[in-house]
Amino acid sequence: MDELAQLNSFRSEVPAQEDLRAEAERLMAGISAPARSGFRRLALRAALAGGLAAAVGTAVFVVQSPPAPVPPPPMIRTVAAVEVLSRAAEHAGSRPELHPRPGQFLVYESQSMGTSGGDGGVWLSRSKRTIWLPVEGSAVKGVLQEELLAPLPYPGHTLPPAARAEQALVGKPGRPDRAADFDDRAEFLRNDYAYVSKLPTDTDGMRKHLYTQVPNDGLQDYEAWNRVGGLLDESYLPAAQRAALFRAAATIPGVVTVKEAQDAAGRKGIAAAIVSPNGVREEYIFDRKTYDYLGRRGVVVDAKLADAPVGSVVSSSAQLKVSVADSAPIVE
Amino acid sequence: MSETSPADSAVITRSRQEPEVFAEIFRRHAPEIKRFVVRRLGLDVAEDVVAETFLAAFRQRGRYDLVRHSALPWLYGIATNLIGRHKRTEARQLNLLARTGVDPVTEPFTSRSDERLSAQAVRQRLAAALAALPAGHRDVLLLVTWGGLSYTEAAEALGIRVGTVRSRVNRARAKIRKELGGTDPTALVIEEVRHG
Repeated sequence: MDELAQLNSFRSEVPAQEDLRAEAERLMAGISAPARSGFRRLALRAALAGGLAAAVGTAVFVVQSPPAPVPPPPMIRTVAAVEVLSRAAEHAGSRPELHPRPGQFLVYESQSMGTSGGDGGVWLSRSKRTIWLPVEGSAVKGVLQEELLAPLPYPGHTLPPAARAEQALVGKPGRPDRAADFDDRAEFLRNDYAYVSKLPTDTDGMRKHLYTQVPNDGLQDYEAWNRVGGLLDESYLPAAQRAALFRAAATIPGVVTVKEAQDAAGRKGIAAAIVSPNGVREEYIFDRKTYDYLGRRGVVVDAKLADAPVGSVVSSSAQLKVSVADSAPIVE
Repeated sequence: MSETSPADSAVITRSRQEPEVFAEIFRRHAPEIKRFVVRRLGLDVAEDVVAETFLAAFRQRGRYDLVRHSALPWLYGIATNLIGRHKRTEARQLNLLARTGVDPVTEPFTSRSDERLSAQAVRQRLAAALAALPAGHRDVLLLVTWGGLSYTEAAEALGIRVGTVRSRVNRARAKIRKELGGTDPTALVIEEVRHG
């Protein structure tokens, strides 16, 4: 072999690169940046749909890059968020569907973290929980079993003494209890299966549903975004409604993409997000390959508003499993 | 490319009026450009370089010379310029391979390279030789070998004269030949197998 042949076989084990989603997204963002009209974006999505589907769909080689020692700050792009949610919509039907019947329960296992506290200071409460929710009707007939995990200090603060009560319960799973003593949600906020399986399956209809009776107070898009979460966490939508939900979410103004996100269970993915009035970026995280919904995360973008350093995580969840059961545990 | 699909130059012309059409250029060439960049810099940096390459190409599409039917040399040229910003990364990885035999660039793809061991000594010397080349010479050599560009295309890509391409390739080849021929690589392989 001469030196050119040697050189040609050098690093030739690097395979053809099929996974170009990140690059494609950035190109799309660049292409549509100057022209902000919705029409342009739609045209762009249509143009890319055919071409990129080939590049993305045929990924045959799963690439595991070694973990970087210090994670780079997440890259945020606007237009591409539409793409994340569109893909989630396209993948909505790719899993075997659950078909719960009236009288049965949907069982959700999840892990979450959120702010707790009051006068005694703030901290982050964490728990793992399983909830049995009736297929039809309010959560009052639901059953909840929860296990506390060690509380964490709220970013930039110390763990206050008031958090000790939680600390003492770590490792002691609670007994199954009633999920709710009352459930007086407005009709349009219901998320039981019987209700959500009748929601519209078209983008427009679902969008109207998300904005039902939202006051026009400047926070309406954030409210609509929250309602998307209400239909994702501890909720199960048939594939058609799920696809419509993601398509409708993509129409909410201000949605951005977060390239690297992590749910409460440490699973990594790509996220669509909106910045809350509290200076927190509220992310919905999806698996990078399957576009399954993984969970939520809240990341501080305004230290003053959130009273925590920029980049710190102040809330999260992970939807770990959903299944169907004929009954819920007996509550004493 | 099939006979019915328009040449890159036609696509780029259209993309000047309809920017989204530029996605077609990405679809055609991004996989090849990315493989090239991965071979030079590894996966971690490649994503950024490839994204920047196509964004830069998109912004410069107005200046694209429509006489050139294939956009590939142009894209390779932009990619090579951007790779230049990561000279240190490239050198560090090559030097690591030369010293230790561990190649951070190909590590994620190990399953395919069982035959690698036999050529280990050659790989280490190649890495050392590539690292020692002047950046401009390495750029030309890799465009011609890994990129498969002709001397004319490489000259177009880098904006240098064909004569310069030729002389750089020849000098780079000579250096590599010298490095590879310095000692008998086979002897070293046997040595390593015995120890391993």
